[in-house]
Amino acid sequence: MLSADEAADLIEAIATRQDRAAFARLFQYFAPRVKAFIVRSGADPEAAQEVAQEALIMVWRKAASFDRTKASASTWLYTIARNKRIDHLRRNNRPAIDTDDWLTVFAPEEDGADKSVLAGQTYTRVKELLGGLSADQLVVIEKAFFEDKTHTAIAGELKLPLGTVKSRIRLALARLREALEKDES
Amino acid sequence: MSRHPAPDELLLDYAAGALPDGPALAVALHVALDPQSQRTVDRLNAIGGALIEREPALDLDDSALEEVLARLDEVPVEPRRVAAARRNPAFAWAPAPLVPHLRPGMDWRRVMGKFDEIRLDLPGDFHRVSLLRLESGRGLPEHKHDGYEYTVVLQGGYTDDTGNYGVGDFAVGPGDHRHEPIADPGDPCIALIVVENPIVLTGPWGRWLNPLVSRGWI
Repeated sequence: MLSADEAADLIEAIATRQDRAAFARLFQYFAPRVKAFIVRSGADPEAAQEVAQEALIMVWRKAASFDRTKASASTWLYTIARNKRIDHLRRNNRPAIDTDDWLTVFAPEEDGADKSVLAGQTYTRVKELLGGLSADQLVVIEKAFFEDKTHTAIAGELKLPLGTVKSRIRLALARLREALEKDES
Repeated sequence: MSRHPAPDELLLDYAAGALPDGPALAVALHVALDPQSQRTVDRLNAIGGALIEREPALDLDDSALEEVLARLDEVPVEPRRVAAARRNPAFAWAPAPLVPHLRPGMDWRRVMGKFDEIRLDLPGDFHRVSLLRLESGRGLPEHKHDGYEYTVVLQGGYTDDTGNYGVGDFAVGPGDHRHEPIADPGDPCIALIVVENPIVLTGPWGRWLNPLVSRGWI
């Protein structure tokens, strides 16, 4: 187990002193989870391992742009793994522009977004709240993240009207917003 | 605060990485300009993080870490990225995610004598992705769409029968609705428009011009 704070410390150790031992710990914790995540989207284990390796190399490269007040280590890692998955799926049709260059990850520096709640705490809360979603809502959210499907594709696959899928997504997000805003006020 | 945010389900598609490049660019620009949608996306990304962490670990080959460590010598830890300094002053209005798509030498092209267009080339995506510029008080020809249309305003604003749209506002239109957007007073309205299929003109010249539009000539 690696806490949000420990993981953030490790990423900062890479940023400030190219700490290989810190990198190895992050790798041992996250690479097997990223691999499992990529396998869920239909990749074979060998390709998934490659994507996980690429994602962790990206963690090394971009460590200095990690900001623990904006995102937890897991959240940041998720966005990197997602972008690597996108690049992997399009390997045969490679975009001219690296996905990381434009698929924005977090709020820009000048953004005055509320920092009253540390990203690590928000993240812990999101994790708890995820457990409180209804099974119907969770299925839709998981399909989106794991299987890389749009809400339209999910509606088709579950044979549900588009409106039903939309309202499940909106209800799940409303719950999340409500709970997080109550914490922040 | 945006009066017209992108709908939650589209923000989810975006955060999950499921959108094709054209619509993903439209959402990326909206999110860059709209702090509230940015917050929603940050939260969705946190869900992604939580889901990854809940995954049962799937072991890598024994040599996987060694391989990566061996490669790190050639991979420098990059310095923290500062805001793009090499920005072209002609595109000062462009939010950061658009900048890599604006290649040197790109310029506005007048279309039908009514508006200016820069067509963006997103390899691997079938959507038609354009920047449109409309002088204050000018309108786009009345048209409808065959399929989805995503619009995000980058400068100025426009008004159509569904409301008034300012910088950062997002409009998603299923196509059968005819509309005739008019640019608001002030700076010219600049917007990114992503359409699934060529637009269908519904005004008096439509039947003559539509074949040209569908061939991508105008």
